[in-house]
Amino acid sequence: MGDQVRIKQENPVGNPRTPKHIRGKKGVIVALHGVIPNPQDHRGLYSPLYTVLFDVKEIFGGSSHDKLRVDVHEEWLEAE
Amino acid sequence: MAKNRKAAKPHMHDHEVHVRAVEEDLEYYRTKRFEPRVIYFARRGAVTFYDLLKANPSPKHTVKPSKARKGMEARIRALEDGLDDYVRGFGLVSSLPVKGIEMVIEDTRKERGDYDDFFRIAKKEHDGTLEQRIARLERDLRDCKTLLDAFAQALLRKGLIDQKEFRRRQEALSAETEWSGGRIVARAWVDPEFKANLIATGRQAVRELGIPPGRLGKLGVVENTESVHNIVVCTLCSCYPHDLLGDTPWWYKHDSYKQRIIRDPRGTLEAMFHLRIPPSVEIRVHDSTSDVRYMVLPQRPPDTEEMSEEELAKLVTIDSLIGAGYALHPSRRKEAERTERVRPVYA
Repeated sequence: MGDQVRIKQENPVGNPRTPKHIRGKKGVIVALHGVIPNPQDHRGLYSPLYTVLFDVKEIFGGSSHDKLRVDVHEEWLEAE
Repeated sequence: MAKNRKAAKPHMHDHEVHVRAVEEDLEYYRTKRFEPRVIYFARRGAVTFYDLLKANPSPKHTVKPSKARKGMEARIRALEDGLDDYVRGFGLVSSLPVKGIEMVIEDTRKERGDYDDFFRIAKKEHDGTLEQRIARLERDLRDCKTLLDAFAQALLRKGLIDQKEFRRRQEALSAETEWSGGRIVARAWVDPEFKANLIATGRQAVRELGIPPGRLGKLGVVENTESVHNIVVCTLCSCYPHDLLGDTPWWYKHDSYKQRIIRDPRGTLEAMFHLRIPPSVEIRVHDSTSDVRYMVLPQRPPDTEEMSEEELAKLVTIDSLIGAGYALHPSRRKEAERTERVRPVYA
């Protein structure tokens, strides 16, 4: 919690479900959800899920002070 | 399916908006939910196209208003009711387990052709005059309902779904039930302990209300306060706790919302929903995944101190659970057209 992370650009082995606009961007971990079994949506288990906080400004530029929170699997995160 | 609506319908302000909502919603259900299911079953030999040909759908799937009601507004209402009926019918067909067939919802990027154009599903153009668009929808919806009926008949005929269970669910779906979203929020407003439990445990907490908690991943609950306004989006598809709260409004699944809200949350709330968030309030956009699906806990409106939990539940709109609106002030209860259009939950 509170750790600075950077989202990887590519992750050929993991769940591809990470939005393009946050790839390569810096954020802060604000919550840990853990491994979530969800057999209705995917059969296997994915790596632990974290909520990462981003500044809209960091991702899209501009002058917004608002925040984005995106849930990202561990395999997509790199310590910053 | 029989439908009984008690509330008087408010006047429609903008016909085009209503027609567009039906177009977008029908496209979504047809191309993303229903047709992939038919193709999936066909490829596995469970229900083939020939089974569909042999099925005997009812020829009476009309979506025109009764003769007593005339004019454009009545036709649009009939389309909206027809669409609701179609969605319920799809819910019924897809909620029953079919032995040996496990189907997962396909990802938007795949059917948009992002990986391979082979998988792309063509969407219809919604052009023409309003009159032409309504006529086209009447035709399309009739066809969609007929094919859905054929699919259901084929599933029953082949013994893939249980006849008795099918009838039971059909009756349960057409019965008027209270919307879980409203009940959950109203309880959270009156019971701080429930609220704390809801925010901490999500789905587990709703059992207390006798609501089935559903199984679609974890439920994230984010509370709006004087200093934070939360809003939910799913930029990659349309993840939402629909097993618990029913279906989302059409715009939630639409790129016009998904792409704009993350780039300019404040401007988009104002432009799309006439919602002006004071500069002192921080906006947090939550991008959902299928594993954690978010709902917003809206603030309790002013002047509601004397209201009962049941009355409070009626102030909760679908938009307010996404963060695209506030819960209604009691004086605006009658305008709450959106709560009226809440779709059933099919678990």
